[in-house]
Amino acid sequence: MLGYDEPLVDSLPRGTVDSFAGTGNPFSFGDLRPGETVLDIGCGAGFDTLIASRQVGPSGRVIAVDMTPAMLEKTAAGARELGLANVDCRQGLAEELPVDDESVDVVISNGVINLCPDKVAVMKGVLRVLKPGGRFQIADIIVHKEVPQGAKDDIDLWSG
Amino acid sequence: MLEHVGFTDVRWGPQVDVFSGSKHESDAKEFDTRGVTFAGIKPSSEGASRTNN
Repeated sequence: MLGYDEPLVDSLPRGTVDSFAGTGNPFSFGDLRPGETVLDIGCGAGFDTLIASRQVGPSGRVIAVDMTPAMLEKTAAGARELGLANVDCRQGLAEELPVDDESVDVVISNGVINLCPDKVAVMKGVLRVLKPGGRFQIADIIVHKEVPQGAKDDIDLWSG
Repeated sequence: MLEHVGFTDVRWGPQVDVFSGSKHESDAKEFDTRGVTFAGIKPSSEGASRTNN
């Protein structure tokens, strides 16, 4: 599935996998390192958050940000089910990240920024929260043809 | 845009069809929608790589 190892996917809670709406694999640029602090923008049900949590281990942590309490509760439930104590769930917008300046080693996101009206603001926020030398690894979608306003206004095209 | 914001070493993965078999497959094809991965680094000295415009 999108380049994720099947045994890894199978090890995640069923509800987490069923709610996954990612568009790629942000870990394709490399795994995270133990002890790192990671920010997952638009964590959804926590699919990538839980993978990141395992990779950074107990000495690291994952800040999972989503705009909806329902998604954050799914992420928290998944972390509890797997016994992961290093997941910090926070409600907020991608354009106004509830994260301190220069406090994060790695930013990940999956299929979220295309939904944000102000993509430049999102990436400026990523720059703000990353430590100097920190990195982002993002999966998303792009379109090669102009999308008409009628399609932009069709809510069914905004969700899976 | 990413370099203008201030990132360096921006890299792009291959563009792939991620909507094949989904209920929105035809819509994705209509707009030539592709999945991408991309990565970059915040320079150690942020101002060093930022463009001047």
